[in-house]
Order: sequence, then structure tokens, then C-alpha cells
Amino acid sequence: MSWTKETEQQLRKVIKESGVKLLEENLVQGTWGNTAVRLDDNHMLVTPTGLDYIALQPEDMPIVQIDDPSVWSDGKKPTSERKIHAAVLLSRPEINATIHSHPVYCSMLASARIPLPIMSEEMQKLVGGEARVGKYGLPGTKGLKKGTVAAMEGRNACFMANHGVFCAGRDMDEAFAIIRIMEQSSYEYVKRMTLSLTGQTTYSDELLFDYFINY
Amino acid sequence: MNIASIREYAKKLAEEKFCGAGDIVSFKQDGVVYATKEGAKFEDLCEDDFVEVTDKSEGEYAVLFAVYQKKKEIKALYHVHPAWVDAVSKKGVAIPAVLDDMAQIVGPTCKIAKKKDVRSILRALRGRNSCLLKGEGCVTTGRTMDEAFTCVMVLDKASKCFVAGSVLGGNKIINIFEAKLMQIVYKKKYSKINQEELQKREE
Repeated sequence: MSWTKETEQQLRKVIKESGVKLLEENLVQGTWGNTAVRLDDNHMLVTPTGLDYIALQPEDMPIVQIDDPSVWSDGKKPTSERKIHAAVLLSRPEINATIHSHPVYCSMLASARIPLPIMSEEMQKLVGGEARVGKYGLPGTKGLKKGTVAAMEGRNACFMANHGVFCAGRDMDEAFAIIRIMEQSSYEYVKRMTLSLTGQTTYSDELLFDYFINY
Repeated sequence: MNIASIREYAKKLAEEKFCGAGDIVSFKQDGVVYATKEGAKFEDLCEDDFVEVTDKSEGEYAVLFAVYQKKKEIKALYHVHPAWVDAVSKKGVAIPAVLDDMAQIVGPTCKIAKKKDVRSILRALRGRNSCLLKGEGCVTTGRTMDEAFTCVMVLDKASKCFVAGSVLGGNKIINIFEAKLMQIVYKKKYSKINQEELQKREE
């Protein structure tokens, strides 16, 4: 163990707060999302599987071995998506915090498997380029893990086909800035495409809805 | 179920703007089904807003009673109108599994009940936690108030994705076998601990 108890306590709080923040910012539904923070080269704290973020306590977060995510200690049973968090942390030493979630506009593009072009300078800066769509795989499988790691190459975010979005930052604050810009940019893309299809100048979700009804 | 839990989820449904005309929040406690009276304000429910639903109940309450009788595991059922779900229901099409969380919590598809009768609704709900009612929103069910609420949230998001995918270039649908597999894993494994803890909290 190469970290101090104090650091661990602090990062446990970071993870706990990250779950609550995902809910408060409407970036997740129910328990469908998970986050991780690096403790050292080979250990991370992650959110437990299937538990309510509000009820979760910092001590519930398990410590997971990055090079073998089947090994874990302390806390409650870790998220089944820990392999993806571990694979990204293993392949990207500069990354210390990861978020996987399903915000609405990101989900629209992820479900239709549409890559997100660079929508702003901020997106370019934070994400590092176009957000790719990782190859489809069932939750918790090697296929999903490999697809996500490949789509993350040279990027700080990607979509997971029919699943959601994965974001990685140097710390949790940066990871949050990335998931926010991904959701904002996805919204802008949906808006741009809808206005282009309908010939209208003002976007609202109802416009997309009306086009669908008459489509 | 305690009244605080029911008030909490009904309020959440109202706050998320999932409600419309004729909506019902119902739950089962000690084998007895209770449902909101017509016109009850979800923002601020009280005990007087509920009626006991029995085999003598009529109209939508009779349908509700039949669903609880048939699906023994459910403890909560909502009939609500999230805008995008309502849109798809008006178009009269089923929602395929466009997202894996939809496959997990709703089922491999969200079918549409063409009529608002027991037979159509039970058929559409077979193997699923939710179904659309043609032109009249959706029914969602759950082992807890929380699960039925999450089901509404996920179905609303899946509807948005389905609509957006249809408009923006075509949906990529999860195959039925994988969707069913995810539903089983969610029900038997992934959600089990959380649902048990939520059941205790809601009682």
C-alpha cells in the first residue's frame, strides 16, 4: 500500500460526492453509472455495484487492483464495469479519475452509434478530438472493455455503443468537466442535425419529436 | 410501503414532468393494492388521496388489480405520461432495445397495448416491466417504488434515443437474445441487493 490513510479517506469522499453530483447534474439515472479514482499505480477506488448513490457512504467504496480487477478488498462489491475503469487507468498513467454514465444527449448518439465531431474549442481541449464510438459489447464483457479502450486512444472521452459515455481526467474535477462538455456538445450536435433536417431556425426537443411523428 | 416513500416518488414524477391526465400511482402493501384517486395532486399526496383497489373495482382500477394479481413480484405500478414516451405511444410503435439499461430494467422491447383493457395490457407486459398504452403514455412496474420510478426514467430516455435515432440516421438495436440476457442478469443479480435494501426502506 503506497498511499496514506488520509489520502484514501479524501478519495473515498471524492467518489461518494461524484455519485451524488452525477445525480444532481442529471448526468445519470438510478444506479446506472460508476466512477473510479486512482490510489496508486495498481489500485483504484470505485463505486459499488447497483447501490443508491445517496445512501452510499465513503467506506462502502471498494479498493480494486488495476492489473487484476477481480481482486478487491474493503467496501462493498465493486461495479461490474470496474474492468473498463481499470483498463483505461492501466493504459493511461496520466489519468487519475474516470466516469462512466448515461446522460440523455450522449445516450442519443451512443444508441445510434454516431461519433461526435469537434463542436467547440473547449471540446477539442478537453476531449482531444472527435469522440469515437467503441465497439458494442455486453456490460462487463471483454468485448466492451476492448472496444472502450480502443475508442479512448488519444482521447479523454468516447461513446460506448448502446450504452453510454466514458470520460477520463487527471482528477475528478476534470473528468466532470469532460462529461459536461460531452453532454453539451451532444446536445449541440442533435440540435444542429435537427435544424438542418427540418429547415427551422430554433431548436426545441418538440421539433425533433414532431419530425419523428410525421416521419 | 410508508406514506413518506409514496409521497417522495409521486412528487418526483411530478417534478420530472412525467405526469398527465388520468395518471395513477399505486402500490401493494400486505397484499392490499392502493391507488391514487382521480385528480389527486402528485406534488402533495396525503392518505386521503388513496383508494383500496379490489376485485370489485372498475375501469382502470380493475386493470391495475389484474396486473398485480398476475405479476406477484411487483409492489408498485404507475400509469404516467412522460412527453417522449407519450409521443412514441401516439405514433403507435413499440420501442426496441436501443440502450442496454432499457433492456435491463424495461425488457427486450417496450410493447404497445393497443387497447386499455386487461388482456392487451397483460400481453404487452409479459416478460417486461413496462408497456406503452396507445396514445395514453405508459405503465411501469417495479419491485419497489424506486424501481418503478427508475423504469419511467429509463423508458423516457430510451424514447428520446429511439426518436433521435429514427430521425438522425437509424437506430442500432441490441439483438433480442442479448437484451433478454441483460434483463435476467439485472433482475437476478445486479439489482438484487439494492432492491432488497430499498424494500426495507420503503416499508
